[in-house]
Amino acid sequence: MKLLLRDAGIGIALLLLILFFALTADHFLSPNNISNILTQITINLILAIGMTFVILIGGIDLSVGSMLAFCAVVGGSVLTVPDLSVFQAVSLATVAAVGTGALCGFLNGWISAFWGLPSFIVTLGMLNIARGAALQVTDARTIYSFPPSFNAFGSQMIYGVPVVFLIALALVGIAWFVLSKTVFGRLLYGIGNNEEAVRLAGHSLMIYKIAAFTIAGVLVGIAAMVYMARLNIASPIIGIGFELNAIAAVIIGGTSLSGGRGSVIGTLLGACIIGVLANGLILFGLSDFMRQLITGVVIILAVIVDKYRERITAA
Amino acid sequence: MKLFKFASVLALVAATALPTIAAAADKPVVGLVMKSLANDFFKNMLEGAEAHAKKRGDYELKAIGMQNETDFESQLNGVENFITQGVDAIVIAPADSRAMVAPLKKAVDAGITVVNFDVSLDEQAKKDAGLDLAFVGPDNRGGAKLAGDALAKSLGEGGKVVIIEGNPGADNAAQRKLGFEDAIAAGKLNLLDSRTAHWETEEANSVFSTMLTAHPDIQGVMAANDSMAIGIIKALDAAGRSDIKVVGFDNVSAVQPLLKEGKLLATVDQFGSQMASDAIDKALAVVAGGPKLEGWVKTDIKLVTTDDVK
Repeated sequence: MKLLLRDAGIGIALLLLILFFALTADHFLSPNNISNILTQITINLILAIGMTFVILIGGIDLSVGSMLAFCAVVGGSVLTVPDLSVFQAVSLATVAAVGTGALCGFLNGWISAFWGLPSFIVTLGMLNIARGAALQVTDARTIYSFPPSFNAFGSQMIYGVPVVFLIALALVGIAWFVLSKTVFGRLLYGIGNNEEAVRLAGHSLMIYKIAAFTIAGVLVGIAAMVYMARLNIASPIIGIGFELNAIAAVIIGGTSLSGGRGSVIGTLLGACIIGVLANGLILFGLSDFMRQLITGVVIILAVIVDKYRERITAA
Repeated sequence: MKLFKFASVLALVAATALPTIAAAADKPVVGLVMKSLANDFFKNMLEGAEAHAKKRGDYELKAIGMQNETDFESQLNGVENFITQGVDAIVIAPADSRAMVAPLKKAVDAGITVVNFDVSLDEQAKKDAGLDLAFVGPDNRGGAKLAGDALAKSLGEGGKVVIIEGNPGADNAAQRKLGFEDAIAAGKLNLLDSRTAHWETEEANSVFSTMLTAHPDIQGVMAANDSMAIGIIKALDAAGRSDIKVVGFDNVSAVQPLLKEGKLLATVDQFGSQMASDAIDKALAVVAGGPKLEGWVKTDIKLVTTDDVK
């Protein structure tokens, strides 16, 4: 119930923002623009779902932007193998991209859990490893010319809703189910709240920590496939700073950076807030510099509001 | 035991130091300082320089690059290391047109021939530091004007255009924007909006689709690099707008199919792979006792259109 109330608060903030732009910016509510916003938030949303798992256990993953590039160039290399049917190419590429993400995520989780290291440092290492690996395997070249039907899929719409966004929404649904309806999910919250208690209850912390980071890696792999379908290129330099946007979506969505509190529904709303802001401020006619400044202010405001909410719900 | 350790260290030092001394005696050493090697453009440039060094064979090339476009620190360290090593010439594509002035002044004072290519150092900063240095490089503003003119010619007077800019604060981004604005003034185009997408494909895709919502009457787009042009063309595909014309900059390999299909009207080639080797040639001529370089030594630029790839 408390969780529902938290999400409702963020939902109201999002509605107010939408209302503001609807009144002040022309075309904001046009069907085309709404499709655009949904397309624009998709990649960040997918990354942020994975980030939610990691932040819930009190960790952080700074490597997702670099991993996105690594997964994309691995998947992109498979996509451009000659003599494969489109179906073969796309399925093998998906396996390769998701597998690469899972492997990087597994390493993040295993290294930090096995040696008891802060995930901040381990994933900072992975940020460099994945970027270096992406550059190494491509020799810093951009991969392009994917199958046309794969490319068309990236801009496919169903009643004006981008298919890639529906995929992200389905992932939100799955993540929500896993986090709130399964023992596994409840234990992740438990680790974020009180690691020691979970350990004393006889659960292996290591498995859960590795699982959270691996899930984040799998989602990076999926995001990489969406990136390629949308933009028809895979370059080893994509995704710089994407981890920060994903973290921002999770935090604006009300998940506590210290772990144990939050929800993936909040993350969905947080990603929407970032997307609506980025889009609305352009339509509003604000300069690029002011846009960046205001996005920063919103992130800080969200954390301050969360602080108050914490006090009220605790009381 | 201690003595043994000392001796082995001494041997190691001698082993590493001797070959460099020997090499320095017969061939001039050129330190090449590049920008991000994660960028196709600089990657091609470095490969061009390496091939050039092998072909000429009369100098030794030492190259360093950066992690990313804004990693000033490693450039700074690289220049300082080259000064310490006592290279004969430093050939540099500065990451920042002001930050690199002081270390290069130090290099010049140490008697090293310095050639600045790709991005020119800030005139005022050079004057303040008392540094007199020529620039070997393309005219980014002139190049952008070529691309802008091609768009203006295709749209005709009164055509409605937007600009997608590179990184705010980067000199080549500023020059390209000025070049686009020159073309807009010359062709009497109507500029609706101008925004940055930080050289990035994904950001250009998002920013441009939003700009298209705000201005559905856009007829042409000027992108400050090809990576962003790719993102813009994807946004046009998604919106089903084949009527809008796009020009880019850099002529990277990923836009070749787009040029062929006519989705990209034109781009600009700065012959990046030759740029570093040209600058090295000029530096070696000075090292060999040739006259000092002065002012702006312009390198080739060329407009590339659909006709060039067919």
